[in-house]
Amino acid sequence: MLKTDFFGARQFRLALAFALAISAATVGAFGFIYLQVAGADIARVGAILTEEARRNVDASRERLAAALEARQTQHIRRIDYLALFDSSGARVLGNIPTLPSIPLDGRAHVVDGREIAAPESAIFVGERRADGGALLMGRNLQDTYDIEDTLLRALAITLAPTVVLILGIGVLFARRATLRFSTIQDSIQRIMQGEMRLRLPVSRESDEIDRIARAVNLMLDEIARLLDQLRSVADNIAHDLRTPLTVVRRKVEVALDAQALPAAAREPLDVALSQLDRAAVTITALLRISAVESGARNKGFRDVNLANVCAEACDFYAPLAEAKSVALTATLETPVWMRGDEDLLREALSNLLDNAIKFTPAGGAVRVDAKFVDGRPCLEVRDTGPGVEVGDREKIFRRFFRSAIGIREGGHGLGLSIAQTVAELHGFTLSVEDNQPGARFIMRASDKARARAVR
Amino acid sequence: MHSDHARNAVAPVLLIEDEHELASEILVELRALGYSVQHMRSLAEGLAAALSHEAAVVIVDRMLEGEDGLAIVEALRNEGNRVPILVISGLSTVDDRIRGLKAGGDDYLIKPFALPELAARVEALLRRGETSRATRLKAGPLDLDLVERQLRRDGEPVELLPRELKLLEYFMRRPGQIVTRAMLLEDVWNYKFLPQTNVVDVHIGNLRRKLDAGDGRRFIVNVRAAGFRLDVED
Repeated sequence: MLKTDFFGARQFRLALAFALAISAATVGAFGFIYLQVAGADIARVGAILTEEARRNVDASRERLAAALEARQTQHIRRIDYLALFDSSGARVLGNIPTLPSIPLDGRAHVVDGREIAAPESAIFVGERRADGGALLMGRNLQDTYDIEDTLLRALAITLAPTVVLILGIGVLFARRATLRFSTIQDSIQRIMQGEMRLRLPVSRESDEIDRIARAVNLMLDEIARLLDQLRSVADNIAHDLRTPLTVVRRKVEVALDAQALPAAAREPLDVALSQLDRAAVTITALLRISAVESGARNKGFRDVNLANVCAEACDFYAPLAEAKSVALTATLETPVWMRGDEDLLREALSNLLDNAIKFTPAGGAVRVDAKFVDGRPCLEVRDTGPGVEVGDREKIFRRFFRSAIGIREGGHGLGLSIAQTVAELHGFTLSVEDNQPGARFIMRASDKARARAVR
Repeated sequence: MHSDHARNAVAPVLLIEDEHELASEILVELRALGYSVQHMRSLAEGLAAALSHEAAVVIVDRMLEGEDGLAIVEALRNEGNRVPILVISGLSTVDDRIRGLKAGGDDYLIKPFALPELAARVEALLRRGETSRATRLKAGPLDLDLVERQLRRDGEPVELLPRELKLLEYFMRRPGQIVTRAMLLEDVWNYKFLPQTNVVDVHIGNLRRKLDAGDGRRFIVNVRAAGFRLDVED
């Protein structure tokens, strides 16, 4: 899970970075436009002021006063500030309090608003009059600020939805990627748990993930093919051994039946016979596992009452338990219906019960439960035998694995493999836990099996 | 065994099997038991021989040189021929077995099998017609009433558990017939496999103890390498 979350976060971070880049580019573009427009506006106003100042530099005081009146209302060649200072710097007339600190060179200069006791900065042009006084004309930068406001508003209106959109798409991609990766991871886990027929999901997009999924699927096909090949080789060997074993067994029997059999030959022949029987049982069990494995999944599945299967199995094994002084009890309160193959379930349970009774010492107890756990059918076989060592709890389901005790008790080491194969065929898991003391075998439907059952 | 020989001599068995070694083992086993066995090696030959209506039992392998022996079973059944058929097969998945029985096979034996097992199945098929459907079964001193669910031995009631009664019933419907462990598992307990431990023998042992009258008579005898037989012909 950690990995997929990380990938999701990565996707989201990518989207975030993309959104930032887009924002920066947009802000840059707007900044450029603003500078261009503002610069052009200031230049235009400067040009007007320069021309006006030059034309009116030596105009009389009265004319200037009238002009101030008129220009403040006129729009195109509007002049907000007009002032006349004498050569000593004292104001003669006009609407600015003091002479701003700009050179009187007939060019446009920006004057800070504080210097002229105004809320906004302004552009001023100053000209030296022939009488030594100074004429100042200016216009505030309100228009430029208006442009700035408009541009900022436009920027906000454009940028906000873009960022939201990009982040939204980022979240969407991140979630989709997370989802796809977690389904793939889920599939891989199930395949690792033995569902060799399962394949990774491939979407319709044929992107990189799909290409990898397809490649992995091809690899799985190849592995499955090789496994099948290996299995069929093993099956063929087992199968071909059967006829010679049968022949040898018959010959040994004939020898044992012979009247003139020397007494010394009887014991080795008896041993040979029992070993041949053991080999035959192993071969039968091996072929049985492949038979169960190669059975079509779900085919021939019916509604089976697991509790019923348990009751019958307990009835069947009761005499054996009795003979070993082991108390065999079953807790089967309600019917436990599931989809399955009754014969195979019976076989799986039989192998579990066989083991449980075999390993439980006289005076011990074996208990069978069939019940629903979290709505899933569940079968448990508990005994009070020596239990299964922690290190062996996975291994005991492998073919031919026998614990130290298993070897002492005999058996072909395939019973649990058969039980597990049957469990897998039903979408069940078979595991073993500590029964304190003893072993507790639990066969229960996995999530997928439950989903199937509900559907 | 002499009575077996006399009875089997009149029963011709048709064996359709292309695997040479297996066929010769089956021939030796069945002929030793007194059957007259006709052996065919291919589907076409086997079908022709089967349709000639001479066999009392047909044994057919499902895998005949790449062809499915079930074709013979189907052809015979389509002809209305009811001859008992034992299908033997290396195909042992659950579906295969069901298909084999659906096609009209009477019994299905999965390879590898022991030859005495095959012989016992053949005997069971031959004597299927004799198997009683009665609800009151008598064999020697044993008298089993299935309605009352009561066994009497020499008139004395013997208490049996339901599972013991079921087991005894199976034997009493087939007196003198060899019954293998696999047959008991399949027919009495619905187990289509051999458990690892000798559970069947424990069942038989319990039943024997209940039937024992203390006079040394054993009704259910062991048949070496094959199974058991209810022996009451005094």
